[in-house]
Amino acid sequence: MTARAFVEFIGVEKAFAGKPVLRGMDLAIGKGEILYIIGTSGVGKSVTIKHLVGFLPIDRGEIWFDGQRVDQLDERGFYPVRRRVGMVFQNATLFDAMTLTENVALPLRKHQGLGWKAALADARRRLAQVYLADFADRYPAELSDGMRKRAAIARTLTLAPEVVLFDEPTTGLDPVNARRIDRLIRELSRTLGVTAVVVSHDLPSIMSVADRVAFLYQGRVHALATPAALAASADPIVQQFIAGRSSGPMETPGF
Amino acid sequence: MSAAPSLPVRALAALGRPVVAAARATLELWGVLIGTLAGIIRSYGKGGRRPRGAVLAQMYAIGNRSLVFVAVTLGFIGMVMMYQACLQFSRAIGDLSQVGLQFLRLVVSDFGPTLTAMMLATRVGAGIAAEIGSMKVTEQLDALRMSGVLPIDYLLVPRFLASIVMTVALTILGAAIMYGAGGLTAWLSFGVNPRTFFDPAMVQPRHLALGLIKAVTYGAAIPIVSGFCGLRARGSSEGVGWATTAAVVGSSFAVIALDFALSVGALWLFGGDL
Ligand SMILES: Nc1ncnc2c1ncn2[C@@H]1O[C@H](COP(=O)(O)OP(=O)(O)OP(=O)(O)O)[C@@H](O)[C@H]1O
Ligand SMILES: [Mg+2]
Repeated sequence: MTARAFVEFIGVEKAFAGKPVLRGMDLAIGKGEILYIIGTSGVGKSVTIKHLVGFLPIDRGEIWFDGQRVDQLDERGFYPVRRRVGMVFQNATLFDAMTLTENVALPLRKHQGLGWKAALADARRRLAQVYLADFADRYPAELSDGMRKRAAIARTLTLAPEVVLFDEPTTGLDPVNARRIDRLIRELSRTLGVTAVVVSHDLPSIMSVADRVAFLYQGRVHALATPAALAASADPIVQQFIAGRSSGPMETPGF
Repeated sequence: MSAAPSLPVRALAALGRPVVAAARATLELWGVLIGTLAGIIRSYGKGGRRPRGAVLAQMYAIGNRSLVFVAVTLGFIGMVMMYQACLQFSRAIGDLSQVGLQFLRLVVSDFGPTLTAMMLATRVGAGIAAEIGSMKVTEQLDALRMSGVLPIDYLLVPRFLASIVMTVALTILGAAIMYGAGGLTAWLSFGVNPRTFFDPAMVQPRHLALGLIKAVTYGAAIPIVSGFCGLRARGSSEGVGWATTAAVVGSSFAVIALDFALSVGALWLFGGDL
């Protein structure tokens, strides 16, 4: 038995309708670490983090979380995992039919078994922390994208998760709000020891926040390094991605 | 790499694919039904936490959406049907005294529940599939799962219970309006005495039981079929549109198929005398 990292992907393979997306991905994430996952659109970043909470079954390989193998769990078995691993979805994904407060209160009620009143009161406090107190009784459709994202983050953090998966948290935000989210991720990690796995295309936030960066390419982790080391990498494919050149050695499907 | 499969193999595979897909869909539909029944036990059984007011809210939504619709449709169908029946009866036997007795029996054991359910299949079915389907494609179902909620318990169980109750209630209303509209037509157009028409002598408990069983079965089938279609929605708004159409077609078809099955079953049970 080798010691396992807090979160570990081992040889994970996943194909959709015969089209391979992940082809033997290995990735180990330490406790309290801030790991950014980067790569071109469609490379499988969202798929990777969805595997960890059991939204998509993997075809082959293993996924471990805190010493427990999770890839073979059933829906019920994933419940305790989802209490400890929070996820902020790419499109915020609030429940349309509920107010912000009800949105944030739902996981408190279901996962922690709080009563409705207590959950609503707690939810209001959480919304105030992300400066949404004035909008607590509005419906998601009445808010801006950035507000929805903040509410979604509040909803995820209510359960005090040990791991938070952020799917493009700063995409579509103005620089000020984007840097606030960056700061939030840093604080979560530094003060609460939360492990953060962040999918992002946002170079400033990668450079200032990430402990390590995993660069996904052709279904594998092509490079794994600190942001500074990655930026200085001699690998032509990494260089092309970081510099954002449209032509180069990188093969991107669909173009 | 192996060589490309020969033509018969490919033809067989092409034939087999829809069969496999249909078998898988049937299995999934069955899974939705079992999951919903299990969800009722989870929510309403011992120690379960029932969602507060969810069933009432859904009952209101169904009633609000369908009350006038069902009443008007069944009223008109009752009028047309009775007009046709009186026309045929007066030509063939010239005696209209039996018309009301037979009509009531038909309304109670078949037309009332089946026509009401056909109407509900379009309105309620489309609503359920559109709601669940759009939650599916916008990942709200996954967000529910992250929040510790089983989507079936949270979305389908209240709709299932509300649909059963409301299908029975609207069947009673629809049947009454259909019967009344028929009687009015017979009286005004053919001079049938209302006292002869509105005579419940021919209705037996088994007719009422059959009507009730049909209403409950339809009320259960519509949200299951529609929820199944919603849960299968893929892609974006196009997928939701597909799911909604499939739900309307599927639940209407389910109503017809169940009508046939239950009627045959009742015929067999009562030795051909219905
Ligand atoms: N549920 C699904 N069914 C079928 N194919 C899927 C599904 N989810 C993802 N895919 C496919 O898997 C590939 C990777 O998708 P993924 O969402 O992980 O991309 P991504 O790296 O997150 O891209 P982006 O930066 O655009 O969000 C894509 O080609 C996508 O079409
Ligand atoms: Mg993505």
